[in-house]
Amino acid sequence: MTKGPALLLPVLYLALFFAYLFGPLAIMAITAFNSAGFPRVSPWECLTFGWFGKLAQDTRLLEGIGNSLIIGVGVVLIAVPIGLAAALTLSQVGPRLRASLYTVFIAPILVPGVVIGLSTLIFWDRLGAMIGADYDTLFYDGIFLTIAGQVTFIAAYSMLVFLSRISRFDPTLTEAALDMGATPTQAFVKVLLPFMAPAIASAAVLAFLASMENYNTTVFTVVAESTFTTVLASKVRYGLDPSISAVAVIIVAFTLIAATVFEMGKRRQTRAASGLLALDRPVLRLIAHPLFVAGLMAALVGGVVWTGANHDSSVCEMQVLDDKRAVQERLEQERRERIEALTPAPSAPSAPTQSAPGGAFAPGSLAPGGSAPSPAPSPAPAPAPSAPGGAFVPGALAPGGAFAPGGLAPSGSVDN
Amino acid sequence: MTKDITLDYVSVQFGDYVAVDGAHLTIQGGEFFSFLGPSGCGKTTLLRCISGFQEPTAGQIRIGGKDMRGIGPNKRPTALIFQNLALFPLMSVADNIAFPLEVRGVDRKTRRRRADELLELIALSGQGDKRISELSGGQKQRVAIARALAVEPDILLLDEPLSALDLKLRQHMRRELRAIQKQVGLTFIYITHDQGEALTMSDRVAVMSRGRIEQVGDARAVYDQPRTAFVASFVGENNALTGRVLGRENGLSTLDLGLPAPVRVATASGPGAKLAPGAECMAFVRPEALRPCAPDAPNAFPATVIREEFEGAQRHLVLETPGPGPAAGPAAGPAAPRELRMTLVNDDRDAAFGPGAAISVGFAPDMACALPPGELASA
Amino acid sequence: MSGLRAFFAGFVDRNGLPVAIYLGLAVTIWVFLLVALPQLAMLDFSFRHNLPPSKMGGPEDVYTLEQYRYFFLGSEIGGGDWNALDIGVLFKTLLAAVAVTLIDLAICYPVAYLLAHSARGAAGRLMVLALIVPFWVNEILRAFAFRILFGATGVINEAGMAMGLWSAPIDFVGEDVALYAGLSYAYILLMIFPLYNAIESLDRNQIEAARDMGASRIQVHWKVVIPYAKPGIASGSTMVFMLTAGALAAPQILGGPSNLWFTQIVYQWFNDGGNWPRGSAYAIVLLAVCIGFVMLMMRVFRVSIGAIGR
Repeated sequence: MTKGPALLLPVLYLALFFAYLFGPLAIMAITAFNSAGFPRVSPWECLTFGWFGKLAQDTRLLEGIGNSLIIGVGVVLIAVPIGLAAALTLSQVGPRLRASLYTVFIAPILVPGVVIGLSTLIFWDRLGAMIGADYDTLFYDGIFLTIAGQVTFIAAYSMLVFLSRISRFDPTLTEAALDMGATPTQAFVKVLLPFMAPAIASAAVLAFLASMENYNTTVFTVVAESTFTTVLASKVRYGLDPSISAVAVIIVAFTLIAATVFEMGKRRQTRAASGLLALDRPVLRLIAHPLFVAGLMAALVGGVVWTGANHDSSVCEMQVLDDKRAVQERLEQERRERIEALTPAPSAPSAPTQSAPGGAFAPGSLAPGGSAPSPAPSPAPAPAPSAPGGAFVPGALAPGGAFAPGGLAPSGSVDN
Repeated sequence: MTKDITLDYVSVQFGDYVAVDGAHLTIQGGEFFSFLGPSGCGKTTLLRCISGFQEPTAGQIRIGGKDMRGIGPNKRPTALIFQNLALFPLMSVADNIAFPLEVRGVDRKTRRRRADELLELIALSGQGDKRISELSGGQKQRVAIARALAVEPDILLLDEPLSALDLKLRQHMRRELRAIQKQVGLTFIYITHDQGEALTMSDRVAVMSRGRIEQVGDARAVYDQPRTAFVASFVGENNALTGRVLGRENGLSTLDLGLPAPVRVATASGPGAKLAPGAECMAFVRPEALRPCAPDAPNAFPATVIREEFEGAQRHLVLETPGPGPAAGPAAGPAAPRELRMTLVNDDRDAAFGPGAAISVGFAPDMACALPPGELASA
Repeated sequence: MSGLRAFFAGFVDRNGLPVAIYLGLAVTIWVFLLVALPQLAMLDFSFRHNLPPSKMGGPEDVYTLEQYRYFFLGSEIGGGDWNALDIGVLFKTLLAAVAVTLIDLAICYPVAYLLAHSARGAAGRLMVLALIVPFWVNEILRAFAFRILFGATGVINEAGMAMGLWSAPIDFVGEDVALYAGLSYAYILLMIFPLYNAIESLDRNQIEAARDMGASRIQVHWKVVIPYAKPGIASGSTMVFMLTAGALAAPQILGGPSNLWFTQIVYQWFNDGGNWPRGSAYAIVLLAVCIGFVMLMMRVFRVSIGAIGR
């Protein structure tokens, strides 16, 4: 390969690309450690771990995470078997039926999540109404509806994972098992399933992650409940707060750790397969072992958490506060002097006060004006809606008044 | 104990395509029986019918007198060795071999013991814990056989199991397969397109073409007394000469093959005996049956040596003779020269026959055969 | 009918009864209970009046085109004129989705090509892993990151002003720059992987052969790589387009105050307006228009739906 400009350009492009990919995340991560009340890198005030502490006390977020975990597990348990069944069915039918079935199976991926959420909500609501079910039954349960909605398309994701694995399966293995006297069920359990095991694991991980991070479908199906993403979304839309950055830091850290451990495991596997595992160097083997790496990472995280817990930024923050006060006083002083000296002129105070959260982007701006039927947004930052966050609180869909056009928020479920 | 297998006019059709056309024969228990034919001749389909992966569209398959219709592959007394062996890659060698016992609910200890016995049979003792990927090609082959034997089948079906091996190993495995067959005394049904394999190992061979069984017989019969033009041209090398029957007496037919003089070919029995004077026919003379001879000897004709292919123990001479070439037919353009191959033992006696030499060659009447015209195997 | 029975008999024979039941049940539940019936219920609902639960199933509960009429013509008081606002939002959403798709294609093609044909072994795997990591951070946080980046006191404004490029903060959010950047970023992975998979399976010798026969670098891409990668391009573009058109979180977080995404209107009819039938009708409109557009593009570029998801 020729070195020089021919090689430089691709490398430069890749470097730029990865900077683009990680830059926003890195900046967001940095803001999580700045004590400024608005997520920002500059001006840097104090190194703080306080935003993480704030997270730990955010019961609404914790509750959302709890629900998300339940939903995630439910989705994995249903979507993965469905995806596997779909992939197996596809692998058994003739080419023409296969093409049309594939179109049907892949469709949920292409349907916008919003549409899936809506249709799930309507369908179960109608079904519930048809059989006269109470509002505390499954048909109106946010967790159940969210699982149903998410499974709809996550099953298709896992089907794709299984399809790529199944295409490498040698069908004569099943025939061999049958020929050796196995029943079709035995052949399935003893030959096909073990072969699919790695794909089942990755489909499960994929399904769980897809469930955890889904918003578009969930925001409709979750009804009165909340999940990790819906809580996060309402937090973001209420106002920007560095504790949201702290959430991102935690997720990125988890991801990086998982990725490192995964990569180590992968390397170990390929090396074992090629017989290159350094059997004669036990130290090296230990260091490269995924479990060891996982332990190392855990220790690292523990260390950071311990440091964070013991880090006291209050002195620094007091200092910043004092500084701000000093600046304010100085400005005040100048103003007074100017008033005394000249005719009063309007002055524009800078930085510290402009970080009013929400502002123009506060949820209220998207709410339809009062009870007007048109959803047209009021262009000017409208006065906040009657109930705090009424526009986004799923309570609006609470079963009580779901069908009453006017009776939006039944009391009780609004105050989260 | 050993069971005969009877194919009773078995046919298999896929849509309009006839894969197997009225196969009718009986394979005796304990026999090493081969189906030989070019790819696409229907031999694998027939094997899948016997093993139960394919139901015949017509006809009946009986094993030990019992009709096999509707009986799945897992219920038949057969075990199949797949072309790609189909060993389970995620199981150890011993688990592979013990798989048939496992699915029958045999307990772990018995399974292990039986696997060890079979490993000993295939000379892989102590290698039961290895992974399949750690075995060599020949070892995999033997594991596949052991796994099939663990089923304790009456009939072992082998679908070109040697095709993936290199030449040396293939020849070694031929002997080994034959030895194992003798040792266990099972019926082996062997599918191959390699006539060397079929002829060396089998008690009997069925030659197939286009879904039809052309001839069944032992290696010698198939080679020396082919019953159709296809068999004559497919099994071993053969020179095909088209012509016409002039007359027949005392088991000898006189044929006009476009050579300067008529030749005589033995037609004491077989399809050749039914050729009436005036009928079109094909005469087959094996390269090793052609000999240099005096110009006035019986069945002698002139030939010109075009080139020589030297193969150590043997020399092959390509000769040009008068008469219609291989593509001689109404649609063919100017006929290609008729070329014959002659094989000589490399003993210096006929060293003078270099390219360009004009010689006389001939053959003994009983070293050739005359058959009704038919399709030849493509080279 | 007998053909169908034979098919099922064969299916059971091949899989054994328990597995056949599992396969049949799982696929049926998915296709009917989770996919088809809900869509039909929504379709049905979109043709109804917005009634309180007590009146549902009553004499007033009849089919109507009212909800669709509203989308095209606006409220009855408006009378006759087109509902320019909602139709405009739909078109803007589609155009923006196309723009985002093209941006992603332009960004990702070189990356996918370089990854597939230059980076091998551990380095390649590491880069692929690096691609996935940002994707594990959810959509909302990714949009949030762009708020931080593009806000009035965000990094870009601060940097720009510090370098003296502009003097007052630029309203990136109001100008939708933040939204397009955020959307392009959000679905970049769904473009890269189909492209990567398609290009990776291209035999490197074909590229070298083309080079050998005198094709320029651009010709190699235009004549060899891109035609070969067409299914991947189609797959990636379809996914990015559909997800962008159906995005909700990013427009909610990054959209300017006077700027709506079509999904937001659907959301408003549902959650704020409490008008489910109208929300359904709008969702159907979105779905139909998006699918129609994708089908049209597939026809124009001659790709089959089988390419999607590969």
